[in-house]
Amino acid sequence: MKRTLLRFATSVVACSALVASLNAADVIKIGVQAPITGKYANEGQSIDNGVKLIVAQYNAKGGVLGKKLEVVSCDDEGAAQKAAICARKLVNAGVLAVIGSYTSGATEAAQPTYYRNGVLQTSDGTSDSLTKHKYWTFFRNSFPNSAEAKFTAKYFINVKHYKRIAILSDYSSYATGLADATQKAIKALNGNIIYRGKIKSGTQNFTAVLTKIKSMNPDVIYFSGYYNDGGLLRAQQAQLGIKADFVGGDSNDNPDFMKLAGDSAKGTYLINVPTPDILPYDLAKKFLKDYKAKYGIMPASIWTLLNIDGLRAVLYGVEQTKSTDTKKISNFLHTLKGFPGITGPVNFRSDGERIGGGYMAYKIKADNSYKIVYK
Amino acid sequence: MDIFLQQLINGLTVGSLYALVALGYTMVYGVMKLINFAHGDLVALSAFAGLTIYVEIFGEGTNSLFIVLSVFVITALIIALVGVLLERLAYRPLRTAPRLSAVVSALGASLVIQNSIMLIWGPNMKIFPSNLFPSTIWTVHGVVFTFTQVMIMGVSALLMVGLYIFINKTKMGTAIRATAIDQDAAKLMGINVNRVIMIIFIIGSSLGAVAGLFIGINYRGITFDMGWMYGLNAFVAAIMGGIGNIPGAMLGGILLGLFNAMISGYISSEWAETFTFVLLVVILIFRPTGILGETIAEKV
Repeated sequence: MKRTLLRFATSVVACSALVASLNAADVIKIGVQAPITGKYANEGQSIDNGVKLIVAQYNAKGGVLGKKLEVVSCDDEGAAQKAAICARKLVNAGVLAVIGSYTSGATEAAQPTYYRNGVLQTSDGTSDSLTKHKYWTFFRNSFPNSAEAKFTAKYFINVKHYKRIAILSDYSSYATGLADATQKAIKALNGNIIYRGKIKSGTQNFTAVLTKIKSMNPDVIYFSGYYNDGGLLRAQQAQLGIKADFVGGDSNDNPDFMKLAGDSAKGTYLINVPTPDILPYDLAKKFLKDYKAKYGIMPASIWTLLNIDGLRAVLYGVEQTKSTDTKKISNFLHTLKGFPGITGPVNFRSDGERIGGGYMAYKIKADNSYKIVYK
Repeated sequence: MDIFLQQLINGLTVGSLYALVALGYTMVYGVMKLINFAHGDLVALSAFAGLTIYVEIFGEGTNSLFIVLSVFVITALIIALVGVLLERLAYRPLRTAPRLSAVVSALGASLVIQNSIMLIWGPNMKIFPSNLFPSTIWTVHGVVFTFTQVMIMGVSALLMVGLYIFINKTKMGTAIRATAIDQDAAKLMGINVNRVIMIIFIIGSSLGAVAGLFIGINYRGITFDMGWMYGLNAFVAAIMGGIGNIPGAMLGGILLGLFNAMISGYISSEWAETFTFVLLVVILIFRPTGILGETIAEKV
């Protein structure tokens, strides 16, 4: 009896091992780590939807290396603690690569787990610190804060000639990083920063800090945080009768910014890489058309498209190296030059940084569309 | 000077909201010695329910005094009903259980309500229309008031005065105070304790509903998880003023709002929260039962 039990047990183990290896051979799993619920839900859902769309398109053409692709999603709510749990979950699910996350904070919290387990990761996080670790598994599909900061400083000092600049950020690693870099870049151009402060994201009531800024008579209020706070800041700025211009960093580029700001959205400036609808590339137009056809709406913002480029580059790497060995793919991607992405050519540096990319300054018009004012 | 007065207005506005929410915590605690952690989520629920009532029944774009009043009344009724159900389902079965079980049940109820909001209305931020209240702005000597701010402060003050009179001058109010002092003795005096508790939940939840609608109208963006933030602040306000004490909750809310505004205005916005909690600790060191809390005699 004991022996039969033992034999039964071993055969079960053998069977399950076989099933596992069969599964592993049949599909390539792609992880998505994104804030599908919570404050940044519409960005997270858009990224998740975008990845699923591209994967379905690849599968319709027979997959990659003859294997079907499968998406495993994990919701990190944009929070570092949840991100670490997601990383563990996705590694255990046996994914080849992870797309995400949307926020730099959540990306950074998950990075070491992917690195230790040799799982590729590509994120739109713009915090400079993301590529500082030189993890061979990490590829940034957007452009770093320092590049945006230099552009912002040039626009403020050389074009708008602002004399009294107030800078606000939230406490996230992305927003403080961007605000610090912008402050440094403005100082390098001899700009005059009269105020630098932080707000707590999600607290909704920013009148106290805005009243303080009002007493200092700024020409411009620059906010480096996210759209859910940015829209409210702009609305409350108008309510308090502060005449200064409002300039939002890249993460304010979201339809909810306009909804929250209401009538005061008009005349606001945003700084970001080109928006999806003005990308000159055919691939971008096709992606937007397919996305609209499948989901009935447009992607939330440019961040979805940048992540999609990360995914496409990884899949291109799998195809070119004809392998699912992440080390090999990583070596290939580190020398990738001029891969046609939907957001422009994709080139990676040896530390996983994406090279290239130009910023633009937009002014929001009365109908909430963007007018390019500087590039 | 105008900057100081502006900060005063800023602080009073948000303080009034905290006070309205804090009343729900303090009334339940006063009678049941229970921290109703689900109260903040009822506030969030009211914002979502109010938005749906406005858009579905009256249609976006319409507005009149009658419509706004109806939205407030219907929402308050719905939230009061949810509050009563909450008490029936989550707290009454545990009334004789150890206090810790009731607290765990309250935390569970909070998660249930929060996730229900997410499942019904989705995880995305919902946005209140901007035309519910007129967007009038007054400027007096450089100090700016909006119509919404005046409404928040005025209506909150009216409700609080009304509640104070109800608790201190009516028969039901006397019954509530008696139940808060000693439930068993109150029962012996012929007070229907279950009814008192029901009334407490109806009043607390309706006040929370008014606060939730004001939050939606003033700040416009509402998310399913926002109840936690307002709940926590209101809970702190209730403790600061002396939990279980109704004027204490009002005072605590207003003070919390004012402290926050003055500290972010004059010291540093980065340190506002830290200083506020330092202040809370200092108050509790000198007055362990809160500013207006009564000293509790040790029961032997």
